[in-house]
Amino acid sequence: MSDDYGHDDHPSPWGPHDWGHGAPHNSFAPLILSIGVGLFLLMVGGLFTFGEFDGRYLPMVFVALAVIAAAIVVWWRQDMSFDGSYEPRARGVPFKNIQIRKVGVWVFLMSEMMIFSSLFSTYMRYRQGIPRCDTIFESGDWVEGVAVNCFEPASQLIASSWWHIAPGAINTFALIISSFTIVQALRWAHKPVGSVDEDVRRKRIYRYLGATWCLATLFLTLKMIEWFIGFHVPEIGFLGIHEHEIHSLYSEGYLINNDHYQAHHYIDEATGAHMVANIQVSASLFYVTTGTHGLHVFGGIIGLSYLTYKAWTGAYNPQSAVSIEYFGLYWHFVDLVWVLVFPFFYLY
Amino acid sequence: MSKTIMGKDAYWMNFFGLMLLTLIEVAAVGTDLGPTAEGFDMTERQLTLWILTIIAIPKFMMIAAIFMHLWGENDSGILTLTALFPAFFIIIMVLFIGLTHPEAATGLPAWCRPGTYGL
Repeated sequence: MSDDYGHDDHPSPWGPHDWGHGAPHNSFAPLILSIGVGLFLLMVGGLFTFGEFDGRYLPMVFVALAVIAAAIVVWWRQDMSFDGSYEPRARGVPFKNIQIRKVGVWVFLMSEMMIFSSLFSTYMRYRQGIPRCDTIFESGDWVEGVAVNCFEPASQLIASSWWHIAPGAINTFALIISSFTIVQALRWAHKPVGSVDEDVRRKRIYRYLGATWCLATLFLTLKMIEWFIGFHVPEIGFLGIHEHEIHSLYSEGYLINNDHYQAHHYIDEATGAHMVANIQVSASLFYVTTGTHGLHVFGGIIGLSYLTYKAWTGAYNPQSAVSIEYFGLYWHFVDLVWVLVFPFFYLY
Repeated sequence: MSKTIMGKDAYWMNFFGLMLLTLIEVAAVGTDLGPTAEGFDMTERQLTLWILTIIAIPKFMMIAAIFMHLWGENDSGILTLTALFPAFFIIIMVLFIGLTHPEAATGLPAWCRPGTYGL
């Protein structure tokens, strides 16, 4: 740590930091943010207690959002002046000479890994333990009008055609490209002073970060199309594509509360009988896992908004590039999780 | 920051590699693998799962090693160990609890089954 630690210039944990005098990155912002997020989740839970909407919790939801917003404002206000002049490094083993914040990001990412592992573990167990709906349908072991408890993977709908899979596939490519754009932003920030015109550096960094922001927004937009909106495929004669509609998962009835799921592929052609399925477990697993990932993307968009703005002001250079590096670690992690979510929830 | 793979920039090579592997993933799902699966004495779904898993592993490693700088940096070793720290717990959770508990899916008490709350 710097010898200036505890100096008279020791900054307030609330206000802008005086980085030139050894600010120790102290801030109440992460603590407030954690409290805000915790409060938000609790209140949203209360809002839908036992599946019923309870409006009494609504004001507290907005209070929680205000706490989150306040924390973000404090955090960004403090970081805005960060020029990389003080980056504390560990002095003891095992992380000697490694930036403390970098280690902190990795520990945070590992806790995130545990969250997603628990979701994957749950998915694997239920996928193994509950018979698939199509297996039951083909076996004929069902009675029309009586809901069958079975596992209906979302891929049954999503992977049913190239058009259905398109939003997820495009999203996969979008995340990979965004991982690339953010390392390019870091690369330009790392270029030694004097080796590149500073205005060119500034433009390259904010454009790469801006491109990452756009790709992240595209990801969530396509997710909404896939979940709720669907899309129209026009007639493209020379490709032999006929005009048709791609329905959203919502309109297909793939919902967490659907205990009477009726898919068109579960109609017995011989008798015309329609199998009805309770798909609450499979739909819940799909929406919770992909939704948790989507929330991480949303969090990334908020962070990217700030980073892009700061880059636009020309704040990033080889010394302050660590901010992009640390955020990049988070963003690559989001990509990493998608590498597993996409094949196992969308394709298989 | 100027690492290379086969003489080319590591970031670009990683990017192209990831794009290629993803294309293979999507193609594997869209292609009729039935006859191939019969040759391996498995169902098409099993073969697809194998392909997807085999492709996901290098993709995972490529992102972690190149984009997250867990390869070729001074601190790569200790940070890789840090990243692997939860692996022990994940293995326990996924393999031992997730796959071996005989009644995890069906033996749950009614109060924690979906639908009980009218959701």
